[in-house]
Amino acid sequence: MIIEDEILIAEELRDRLSRLGFSVIAAVDSGEEGVAIATRERPDLVLMDIRLKGEIDGVQAANEIRRHVDVPIVYLTAHSDRSTVERAKQTEHDGFLMKSFLRRELQSTLEVAMQRHAIRAKLKKQ
Amino acid sequence: MSLPTVRLGSVVPSHFLKRQLDVIGVGSLGTLGVLIAWHRPAQWLLTTNFLPHAYCYLSNRALVWTNVVADSLIGIAYLAISVTLGYLGYKGRRDIPYHGMFLAFGLFILGCGGTHFVEAVTVWIPVYILAGAVKVLTAAVSLTTAAVLPFTVPHVFDMIRQAKTTEQRTAELRASEERKDALLQEVHHRVKNNLAVICSLFYLQSTHSKDEETVQIFQDMENRVHSIALVHESLYGSENLARIDFAKYAQGLAEGILASHGSPGVHVDLKTELEPVTMGVDLAIPCGLILNELVSNAFRHGFPDGMGGNIKLTLHSDREGRFTLCVQDSGVGIPSGVDVNMSQSLGLKLVRLLTKQIRGSFELVRSDPGTSAHLHFSVNHHAC
Repeated sequence: MIIEDEILIAEELRDRLSRLGFSVIAAVDSGEEGVAIATRERPDLVLMDIRLKGEIDGVQAANEIRRHVDVPIVYLTAHSDRSTVERAKQTEHDGFLMKSFLRRELQSTLEVAMQRHAIRAKLKKQ
Repeated sequence: MSLPTVRLGSVVPSHFLKRQLDVIGVGSLGTLGVLIAWHRPAQWLLTTNFLPHAYCYLSNRALVWTNVVADSLIGIAYLAISVTLGYLGYKGRRDIPYHGMFLAFGLFILGCGGTHFVEAVTVWIPVYILAGAVKVLTAAVSLTTAAVLPFTVPHVFDMIRQAKTTEQRTAELRASEERKDALLQEVHHRVKNNLAVICSLFYLQSTHSKDEETVQIFQDMENRVHSIALVHESLYGSENLARIDFAKYAQGLAEGILASHGSPGVHVDLKTELEPVTMGVDLAIPCGLILNELVSNAFRHGFPDGMGGNIKLTLHSDREGRFTLCVQDSGVGIPSGVDVNMSQSLGLKLVRLLTKQIRGSFELVRSDPGTSAHLHFSVNHHAC
Protein backbone atom coordinates (compact mmCIF):
# COMPACT_ATOMS: atom_id res chain seq x y z
CA MET A 1 0.00 0.00 0.00
CA ILE A 2 1.23 3.49 -0.87
CA ILE A 3 0.45 6.66 1.10
CA GLU A 4 1.95 9.59 -0.91
CA ASP A 5 0.37 12.98 -1.55
CA GLU A 6 2.13 13.63 -4.90
CA ILE A 7 -0.07 11.50 -7.12
CA LEU A 8 2.37 11.15 -10.00
CA ILE A 9 5.16 10.01 -7.68
CA ALA A 10 2.67 7.53 -6.21
CA GLU A 11 1.88 6.31 -9.71
CA GLU A 12 5.60 5.83 -10.45
CA LEU A 13 5.94 3.88 -7.20
CA ARG A 14 2.97 1.71 -8.12
CA ASP A 15 4.53 0.89 -11.49
CA ARG A 16 7.98 0.15 -10.06
CA LEU A 17 6.51 -2.04 -7.33
CA SER A 18 4.46 -3.95 -9.88
CA ARG A 19 7.59 -4.63 -11.93
CA LEU A 20 9.26 -5.96 -8.78
CA GLY A 21 6.43 -8.40 -8.31
CA PHE A 22 4.43 -6.54 -5.65
CA SER A 23 0.69 -6.04 -5.93
CA VAL A 24 -0.37 -2.53 -4.89
CA ILE A 25 -3.80 -2.75 -3.23
CA ALA A 26 -4.20 1.01 -2.80
CA ALA A 27 -2.46 4.33 -3.37
CA VAL A 28 -3.93 7.19 -1.28
CA ASP A 29 -2.87 10.77 -0.68
CA SER A 30 -3.93 11.42 2.92
CA GLY A 31 -2.96 10.00 6.27
CA GLU A 32 -6.56 9.58 7.42
CA GLU A 33 -7.56 7.57 4.35
CA GLY A 34 -4.35 5.55 4.63
CA VAL A 35 -5.12 4.60 8.23
CA ALA A 36 -8.66 3.53 7.32
CA ILE A 37 -7.59 1.33 4.39
CA ALA A 38 -4.54 -0.16 6.14
CA THR A 39 -6.67 -1.10 9.15
CA ARG A 40 -9.28 -2.74 6.92
CA GLU A 41 -7.06 -4.43 4.30
CA ARG A 42 -3.97 -5.31 6.40
CA PRO A 43 -1.38 -4.97 3.57
CA ASP A 44 1.95 -6.82 3.66
CA LEU A 45 3.79 -3.50 3.66
CA VAL A 46 3.00 0.21 3.77
CA LEU A 47 5.11 2.80 1.93
CA MET A 48 4.44 6.04 3.83
CA ASP A 49 5.46 9.53 2.71
CA ILE A 50 6.80 11.09 5.90
CA ARG A 51 5.54 14.57 5.03
CA LEU A 52 1.87 14.45 4.12
CA LYS A 53 -0.49 17.34 3.56
CA GLY A 54 -3.63 17.27 5.70
CA GLU A 55 -4.46 16.97 9.36
CA ILE A 56 -1.91 14.28 10.19
CA ASP A 57 1.59 13.69 8.82
CA GLY A 58 3.23 10.38 7.94
CA VAL A 59 4.61 9.74 11.44
CA GLN A 60 1.21 10.25 13.06
CA ALA A 61 -0.48 8.09 10.41
CA ALA A 62 2.09 5.32 10.97
CA ASN A 63 1.52 5.40 14.73
CA GLU A 64 -2.23 5.20 14.20
CA ILE A 65 -1.89 2.23 11.80
CA ARG A 66 0.30 0.37 14.31
CA ARG A 67 -2.29 0.82 17.02
CA HIS A 68 -4.69 -1.30 14.93
CA VAL A 69 -2.56 -3.64 12.80
CA ASP A 70 0.98 -4.99 12.86
CA VAL A 71 2.38 -4.26 9.40
CA PRO A 72 5.85 -3.23 8.23
CA ILE A 73 6.01 0.48 7.46
CA VAL A 74 8.75 2.08 5.35
CA TYR A 75 8.99 5.87 5.38
CA LEU A 76 9.63 7.78 2.15
CA THR A 77 11.79 10.78 2.99
CA ALA A 78 13.76 13.60 1.48
CA HIS A 79 16.59 15.77 2.90
CA SER A 80 13.99 18.46 3.54
CA ASP A 81 12.26 16.28 6.08
CA ARG A 82 15.10 16.28 8.61
CA SER A 83 13.10 17.36 11.65
CA THR A 84 10.27 14.94 10.84
CA VAL A 85 12.80 12.14 10.29
CA GLU A 86 14.19 12.73 13.77
CA ARG A 87 10.64 12.35 15.11
CA ALA A 88 10.11 9.23 13.05
CA LYS A 89 13.30 7.64 14.36
CA GLN A 90 11.81 7.71 17.86
CA THR A 91 8.92 5.51 16.67
CA GLU A 92 8.86 1.84 15.68
CA HIS A 93 9.69 1.63 11.96
CA ASP A 94 11.03 -0.80 9.43
CA GLY A 95 13.17 1.47 7.31
CA PHE A 96 13.62 4.74 5.49
CA LEU A 97 13.80 5.18 1.74
CA MET A 98 15.21 8.41 0.34
CA LYS A 99 13.10 9.55 -2.60
CA SER A 100 16.20 10.63 -4.51
CA PHE A 101 17.64 7.11 -4.32
CA LEU A 102 14.37 5.33 -5.00
CA ARG A 103 15.47 3.53 -8.14
CA ARG A 104 18.52 1.90 -6.64
CA GLU A 105 17.21 1.13 -3.18
CA LEU A 106 13.51 0.34 -3.52
CA GLN A 107 13.77 -3.41 -3.87
CA SER A 108 16.48 -3.94 -1.22
CA THR A 109 14.81 -1.62 1.29
CA LEU A 110 11.43 -3.35 0.99
CA GLU A 111 12.96 -6.81 1.31
CA VAL A 112 14.94 -5.81 4.41
CA ALA A 113 11.87 -4.13 5.93
CA MET A 114 9.73 -7.22 5.50
CA GLN A 115 12.44 -9.47 6.94
CA ARG A 116 12.94 -7.18 9.96
CA HIS A 117 9.24 -7.12 10.60
CA ALA A 118 9.00 -10.91 10.42
CA ILE A 119 11.87 -11.31 12.91
CA ARG A 120 10.28 -8.78 15.27
CA ALA A 121 6.93 -10.55 15.07
CA LYS A 122 8.62 -13.88 15.90
CA LEU A 123 10.41 -12.36 18.89
CA LYS A 124 7.15 -10.87 20.18
CA LYS A 125 5.46 -14.30 20.02
CA GLN A 126 8.25 -15.88 22.10
CA MET B 1 39.50 20.51 57.66
CA SER B 2 41.52 23.32 56.03
CA LEU B 3 39.71 26.11 54.29
CA PRO B 4 40.14 26.30 50.53
CA THR B 5 42.68 28.86 49.46
CA VAL B 6 41.26 31.52 47.18
CA ARG B 7 43.80 33.58 45.32
CA LEU B 8 42.64 37.11 44.79
CA GLY B 9 44.04 36.98 41.28
CA SER B 10 41.60 34.24 40.37
CA VAL B 11 38.65 36.40 41.44
CA VAL B 12 39.72 39.81 40.17
CA PRO B 13 41.80 40.24 37.02
CA SER B 14 45.41 40.64 38.17
CA HIS B 15 46.18 43.46 35.70
CA PHE B 16 43.27 45.48 37.11
CA LEU B 17 44.46 45.04 40.72
CA LYS B 18 47.94 46.08 39.67
CA ARG B 19 46.56 49.25 38.08
CA GLN B 20 44.67 50.13 41.25
CA LEU B 21 47.76 49.68 43.41
CA ASP B 22 49.79 51.73 40.92
CA VAL B 23 47.31 54.64 41.11
CA ILE B 24 47.18 54.55 44.91
CA GLY B 25 50.98 54.50 45.10
CA VAL B 26 51.46 57.31 42.58
CA GLY B 27 48.73 59.42 44.24
CA SER B 28 50.24 59.05 47.70
CA LEU B 29 53.76 59.80 46.51
CA GLY B 30 52.50 62.79 44.55
CA THR B 31 50.72 64.25 47.58
CA LEU B 32 53.78 63.68 49.77
CA GLY B 33 55.97 65.22 47.14
CA VAL B 34 53.86 68.39 46.97
CA LEU B 35 53.88 68.73 50.76
CA ILE B 36 57.65 68.26 50.93
CA ALA B 37 58.34 70.68 48.07
CA TRP B 38 55.85 73.34 49.19
CA HIS B 39 57.04 73.76 52.77
CA ARG B 40 55.03 76.72 54.16
CA PRO B 41 51.53 75.71 53.07
CA ALA B 42 52.38 72.22 54.11
CA GLN B 43 53.36 73.45 57.57
CA TRP B 44 50.09 75.34 57.91
CA LEU B 45 47.97 72.45 56.69
CA LEU B 46 49.71 70.05 59.01
CA THR B 47 49.29 72.21 62.14
CA THR B 48 48.66 70.01 65.15
CA ASN B 49 47.98 72.61 67.84
CA PHE B 50 44.73 70.94 68.76
CA LEU B 51 43.55 68.02 70.77
CA PRO B 52 43.34 64.71 68.87
CA HIS B 53 39.92 63.04 68.58
CA ALA B 54 40.97 60.30 70.96
CA TYR B 55 40.29 62.81 73.79
CA CYS B 56 36.66 63.06 72.64
CA TYR B 57 36.44 59.27 72.72
CA LEU B 58 37.94 59.45 76.27
CA SER B 59 40.62 57.10 74.89
CA ASN B 60 38.07 54.27 74.97
CA ARG B 61 40.04 51.68 72.98
CA ALA B 62 36.98 49.92 71.51
CA LEU B 63 35.44 53.22 70.38
CA VAL B 64 38.71 54.50 69.00
CA TRP B 65 39.48 51.41 66.96
CA THR B 66 35.89 51.04 65.75
CA ASN B 67 35.99 54.53 64.30
CA VAL B 68 39.56 54.22 62.96
CA VAL B 69 38.95 50.85 61.29
CA ALA B 70 35.56 51.90 59.87
CA ASP B 71 36.89 55.19 58.50
CA SER B 72 39.94 53.44 57.03
CA LEU B 73 37.87 50.74 55.32
CA ILE B 74 35.42 53.30 53.96
CA GLY B 75 38.38 55.31 52.68
CA ILE B 76 39.89 52.24 50.98
CA ALA B 77 36.54 51.30 49.43
CA TYR B 78 35.93 54.84 48.16
CA LEU B 79 39.46 54.96 46.76
CA ALA B 80 38.95 51.65 44.92
CA ILE B 81 35.55 52.75 43.54
CA SER B 82 36.91 56.11 42.39
CA VAL B 83 39.89 54.49 40.64
CA THR B 84 37.52 52.05 38.88
CA LEU B 85 35.23 54.86 37.77
CA GLY B 86 38.19 56.92 36.64
CA TYR B 87 39.59 53.95 34.69
CA LEU B 88 36.17 53.34 33.08
CA GLY B 89 35.81 56.99 32.16
CA TYR B 90 39.29 57.14 30.69
CA LYS B 91 39.21 53.83 28.79
CA GLY B 92 35.71 54.37 27.50
CA ARG B 93 36.23 58.00 26.55
CA ARG B 94 35.65 57.20 22.86
CA ASP B 95 32.77 54.73 23.34
CA ILE B 96 30.87 55.84 26.44
CA PRO B 97 28.85 59.05 26.09
CA TYR B 98 29.20 61.49 29.01
CA HIS B 99 32.36 59.69 30.15
CA GLY B 100 33.24 62.97 31.90
CA MET B 101 30.51 62.17 34.45
CA PHE B 102 32.39 58.97 35.37
CA LEU B 103 35.49 61.07 35.99
CA ALA B 104 33.47 63.60 38.03
CA PHE B 105 31.93 60.81 40.13
CA GLY B 106 35.38 59.30 40.54
CA LEU B 107 36.80 62.60 41.82
CA PHE B 108 34.05 63.32 44.33
CA ILE B 109 34.13 59.75 45.67
CA LEU B 110 37.91 60.10 45.95
CA GLY B 111 37.33 63.27 47.96
CA CYS B 112 34.84 61.48 50.22
CA GLY B 113 37.37 58.71 50.72
CA GLY B 114 40.01 61.28 51.57
CA THR B 115 37.81 62.81 54.30
CA HIS B 116 37.42 59.39 55.92
CA PHE B 117 41.17 58.71 55.80
CA VAL B 118 41.91 62.07 57.44
CA GLU B 119 39.20 61.36 60.06
CA ALA B 120 41.06 58.19 60.97
CA VAL B 121 44.35 60.10 61.22
CA THR B 122 42.87 62.86 63.45
CA VAL B 123 42.12 60.30 66.15
CA TRP B 124 45.82 60.57 67.08
CA ILE B 125 47.22 63.46 65.00
CA PRO B 126 44.97 66.57 65.14
CA VAL B 127 45.49 67.78 61.55
CA TYR B 128 42.08 69.44 61.50
CA ILE B 129 43.13 72.13 59.01
CA LEU B 130 44.12 69.41 56.54
CA ALA B 131 40.81 67.64 57.27
CA GLY B 132 38.92 70.88 56.61
CA ALA B 133 40.85 71.49 53.36
CA VAL B 134 40.04 67.99 52.12
CA LYS B 135 36.35 68.54 52.99
CA VAL B 136 36.30 71.89 51.14
CA LEU B 137 37.79 70.29 48.02
CA THR B 138 35.31 67.40 48.24
CA ALA B 139 32.41 69.86 48.64
CA ALA B 140 33.56 71.79 45.55
CA VAL B 141 33.74 68.67 43.40
CA SER B 142 30.45 67.27 44.79
CA LEU B 143 28.53 70.52 44.21
CA THR B 144 29.86 70.79 40.67
CA THR B 145 28.86 67.18 39.91
CA ALA B 146 25.44 67.72 41.51
CA ALA B 147 24.93 70.85 39.40
CA VAL B 148 25.84 69.18 36.10
CA LEU B 149 24.13 65.81 36.67
CA PRO B 150 20.49 66.89 36.14
CA PHE B 151 21.37 68.18 32.67
CA THR B 152 22.53 64.71 31.61
CA VAL B 153 19.29 62.98 32.66
CA PRO B 154 17.29 63.69 29.45
CA HIS B 155 20.25 62.56 27.33
CA VAL B 156 20.59 59.37 29.36
CA PHE B 157 16.89 58.60 28.83
CA ASP B 158 17.38 59.24 25.10
CA MET B 159 20.28 56.80 25.07
CA ILE B 160 18.19 54.15 26.85
CA ARG B 161 15.34 54.65 24.36
CA GLN B 162 17.77 54.36 21.41
CA ALA B 163 19.32 51.22 22.88
CA LYS B 164 15.85 49.64 23.27
CA THR B 165 14.94 50.60 19.70
CA THR B 166 18.22 49.12 18.40
CA GLU B 167 17.59 45.93 20.38
CA GLN B 168 14.09 45.70 18.94
CA ARG B 169 15.33 46.28 15.39
CA THR B 170 18.06 43.64 15.83
CA ALA B 171 15.45 41.14 17.03
CA GLU B 172 13.22 42.01 14.04
CA LEU B 173 16.15 41.61 11.64
CA ARG B 174 17.02 38.25 13.17
CA ALA B 175 13.41 37.09 12.87
CA SER B 176 13.31 38.34 9.27
CA GLU B 177 16.55 36.44 8.47
CA GLU B 178 15.06 33.26 9.94
CA ARG B 179 11.87 33.75 7.92
CA LYS B 180 13.94 34.25 4.78
CA ASP B 181 15.92 31.06 5.43
CA ALA B 182 12.71 29.11 6.07
CA LEU B 183 11.24 30.50 2.84
CA LEU B 184 14.37 29.60 0.88
CA GLN B 185 14.28 26.08 2.30
CA GLU B 186 10.65 25.78 1.29
CA VAL B 187 11.47 27.02 -2.22
CA HIS B 188 14.21 24.38 -2.60
CA HIS B 189 11.82 21.74 -1.27
CA ARG B 190 9.09 22.82 -3.72
CA VAL B 191 11.47 22.93 -6.67
CA LYS B 192 12.84 19.51 -5.80
CA ASN B 193 9.33 18.11 -5.41
CA ASN B 194 8.17 19.55 -8.71
CA LEU B 195 11.24 18.19 -10.50
CA ALA B 196 10.54 14.80 -8.91
CA VAL B 197 7.02 14.99 -10.38
CA ILE B 198 8.54 15.70 -13.81
CA CYS B 199 10.80 12.66 -13.37
CA SER B 200 7.74 10.58 -12.57
CA LEU B 201 6.03 11.88 -15.72
CA PHE B 202 8.99 10.84 -17.87
CA TYR B 203 9.09 7.46 -16.16
CA LEU B 204 5.38 6.84 -16.62
CA GLN B 205 5.57 7.94 -20.26
CA SER B 206 8.48 5.56 -20.84
CA THR B 207 6.42 2.65 -19.52
CA HIS B 208 3.73 3.34 -22.15
CA SER B 209 6.02 2.91 -25.11
CA LYS B 210 7.02 -0.35 -26.62
CA ASP B 211 9.71 1.22 -28.82
CA GLU B 212 13.09 0.69 -27.13
CA GLU B 213 14.59 3.87 -28.53
CA THR B 214 11.64 5.95 -27.24
CA VAL B 215 11.85 4.30 -23.83
CA GLN B 216 15.55 5.12 -23.71
CA ILE B 217 14.88 8.76 -24.61
CA PHE B 218 12.41 9.15 -21.75
CA GLN B 219 14.77 7.41 -19.33
CA ASP B 220 17.56 9.76 -20.40
CA MET B 221 15.29 12.76 -19.80
CA GLU B 222 14.26 11.35 -16.41
CA ASN B 223 17.94 11.04 -15.43
CA ARG B 224 18.71 14.58 -16.57
CA VAL B 225 15.87 16.11 -14.57
CA HIS B 226 16.80 13.89 -11.62
CA SER B 227 20.36 15.28 -11.66
CA ILE B 228 18.92 18.82 -11.32
CA ALA B 229 16.45 17.73 -8.61
CA LEU B 230 19.34 16.23 -6.67
CA VAL B 231 21.10 19.63 -6.63
CA HIS B 232 18.05 21.21 -4.98
CA GLU B 233 17.80 18.30 -2.58
CA SER B 234 21.46 18.86 -1.64
CA LEU B 235 20.92 22.62 -1.32
CA TYR B 236 18.14 22.00 1.18
CA GLY B 237 20.48 19.92 3.26
CA SER B 238 23.37 22.40 3.08
CA GLU B 239 24.27 24.82 5.87
CA ASN B 240 23.87 28.09 4.02
CA LEU B 241 21.26 26.98 1.45
CA ALA B 242 23.56 28.31 -1.29
CA ARG B 243 26.38 25.80 -1.83
CA ILE B 244 26.42 22.02 -2.06
CA ASP B 245 29.00 19.38 -1.21
CA PHE B 246 29.71 18.37 -4.81
CA ALA B 247 31.68 15.22 -3.92
CA LYS B 248 28.74 13.82 -1.97
CA TYR B 249 26.35 14.88 -4.72
CA ALA B 250 28.47 13.27 -7.46
CA GLN B 251 28.70 10.00 -5.52
CA GLY B 252 24.91 9.86 -5.06
CA LEU B 253 24.21 10.81 -8.66
CA ALA B 254 26.60 8.24 -10.13
CA GLU B 255 25.23 5.46 -7.91
CA GLY B 256 21.69 6.35 -8.94
CA ILE B 257 22.55 6.33 -12.65
CA LEU B 258 24.20 2.92 -12.40
CA ALA B 259 21.20 1.57 -10.50
CA SER B 260 18.76 2.92 -13.09
CA HIS B 261 20.75 1.49 -16.00
CA GLY B 262 21.46 -1.76 -14.24
CA SER B 263 20.11 -5.04 -15.50
CA PRO B 264 20.33 -8.55 -14.08
CA GLY B 265 23.60 -10.30 -14.84
CA VAL B 266 25.47 -7.11 -15.74
CA HIS B 267 27.90 -6.11 -13.05
CA VAL B 268 29.54 -2.71 -13.33
CA ASP B 269 31.27 -1.41 -10.21
CA LEU B 270 31.59 2.23 -9.33
CA LYS B 271 34.83 3.47 -7.77
CA THR B 272 35.22 7.04 -6.59
CA GLU B 273 38.05 9.31 -5.48
CA LEU B 274 36.39 12.67 -4.92
CA GLU B 275 38.13 15.66 -3.37
CA PRO B 276 35.81 17.69 -1.11
CA VAL B 277 34.59 20.90 -2.75
CA THR B 278 31.53 23.09 -2.37
CA MET B 279 29.94 24.93 -5.23
CA GLY B 280 26.94 27.13 -5.89
CA VAL B 281 23.89 26.30 -8.00
CA ASP B 282 25.21 28.01 -11.14
CA LEU B 283 28.12 25.59 -11.33
CA ALA B 284 26.57 22.54 -9.64
CA ILE B 285 23.72 22.12 -12.11
CA PRO B 286 25.84 22.18 -15.30
CA CYS B 287 28.45 19.92 -13.67
CA GLY B 288 25.70 17.57 -12.52
CA LEU B 289 24.20 17.40 -16.01
CA ILE B 290 27.65 16.80 -17.55
CA LEU B 291 28.39 14.07 -15.00
CA ASN B 292 25.04 12.46 -15.79
CA GLU B 293 25.88 12.34 -19.51
CA LEU B 294 29.41 10.99 -18.96
CA VAL B 295 28.43 8.23 -16.53
CA SER B 296 25.38 7.24 -18.60
CA ASN B 297 27.52 7.13 -21.76
CA ALA B 298 30.22 5.10 -20.05
CA PHE B 299 27.68 2.54 -18.88
CA ARG B 300 25.67 2.40 -22.09
CA HIS B 301 28.52 2.26 -24.62
CA GLY B 302 31.39 0.89 -22.62
CA PHE B 303 29.93 -2.47 -21.63
CA PRO B 304 27.98 -4.06 -24.49
CA ASP B 305 26.63 -7.61 -24.54
CA GLY B 306 26.41 -7.97 -20.78
CA MET B 307 30.10 -7.27 -20.27
CA GLY B 308 31.09 -6.35 -16.69
CA GLY B 309 33.72 -3.94 -15.51
CA ASN B 310 34.08 -0.75 -13.54
CA ILE B 311 33.64 2.97 -13.83
CA LYS B 312 36.05 5.17 -11.91
CA LEU B 313 34.96 8.67 -10.95
CA THR B 314 37.64 11.09 -9.70
CA LEU B 315 37.67 14.76 -8.76
CA HIS B 316 40.97 16.51 -8.02
CA SER B 317 42.32 20.05 -7.94
CA ASP B 318 45.66 21.43 -9.05
CA ARG B 319 47.83 24.10 -7.44
CA GLU B 320 45.93 26.90 -9.18
CA GLY B 321 42.64 25.62 -7.78
CA ARG B 322 41.32 24.28 -11.10
CA PHE B 323 39.38 21.03 -10.76
CA THR B 324 39.36 18.01 -13.04
CA LEU B 325 36.40 15.65 -13.03
CA CYS B 326 37.26 12.38 -14.69
CA VAL B 327 34.98 9.49 -15.67
CA GLN B 328 37.01 6.48 -16.76
CA ASP B 329 35.55 3.13 -17.71
CA SER B 330 37.23 -0.22 -18.19
CA GLY B 331 35.04 -1.08 -21.13
CA VAL B 332 35.53 -1.61 -24.82
CA GLY B 333 36.69 1.93 -25.55
CA ILE B 334 35.92 4.22 -28.48
CA PRO B 335 35.98 2.36 -31.81
CA SER B 336 38.96 3.23 -33.98
CA GLY B 337 38.25 5.71 -36.73
CA VAL B 338 35.58 7.53 -34.68
CA ASP B 339 36.25 11.17 -33.86
CA VAL B 340 34.24 11.78 -30.71
CA ASN B 341 34.79 15.53 -30.91
CA MET B 342 32.71 15.56 -34.11
CA SER B 343 29.96 13.39 -32.61
CA GLN B 344 26.42 14.72 -33.06
CA SER B 345 24.93 12.73 -30.20
CA LEU B 346 22.71 14.87 -27.95
CA GLY B 347 24.61 13.75 -24.87
CA LEU B 348 28.02 14.92 -26.08
CA LYS B 349 26.44 18.07 -27.54
CA LEU B 350 25.02 18.86 -24.11
CA VAL B 351 28.43 18.22 -22.55
CA ARG B 352 30.16 20.61 -24.98
CA LEU B 353 27.54 23.33 -24.49
CA LEU B 354 27.53 23.08 -20.70
CA THR B 355 31.36 23.01 -20.61
CA LYS B 356 31.34 26.27 -22.54
CA GLN B 357 28.79 27.70 -20.06
CA ILE B 358 31.07 27.02 -17.09
CA ARG B 359 34.16 28.31 -18.97
CA GLY B 360 35.73 24.88 -18.73
CA SER B 361 37.37 22.45 -21.13
CA PHE B 362 36.49 18.88 -22.03
CA GLU B 363 38.30 15.98 -23.66
CA LEU B 364 37.36 12.40 -24.39
CA VAL B 365 40.30 10.08 -24.97
CA ARG B 366 40.97 6.43 -25.37
CA SER B 367 42.54 4.94 -22.25
CA ASP B 368 43.75 1.40 -22.17
CA PRO B 369 41.37 -0.20 -21.45
CA GLY B 370 38.21 1.77 -22.02
CA THR B 371 37.58 5.49 -22.35
CA SER B 372 38.43 8.51 -20.23
CA ALA B 373 36.38 11.71 -20.12
CA HIS B 374 37.98 14.76 -18.47
CA LEU B 375 36.20 17.96 -17.52
CA HIS B 376 38.42 20.85 -16.34
CA PHE B 377 36.83 23.83 -14.59
CA SER B 378 37.40 26.49 -11.99
CA VAL B 379 35.20 26.81 -8.91
CA ASN B 380 36.34 30.34 -8.02
CA HIS B 381 35.10 31.67 -11.33
CA HIS B 382 31.58 30.85 -10.18
CA ALA B 383 31.93 31.78 -6.46
CA CYS B 384 28.64 32.70 -4.89
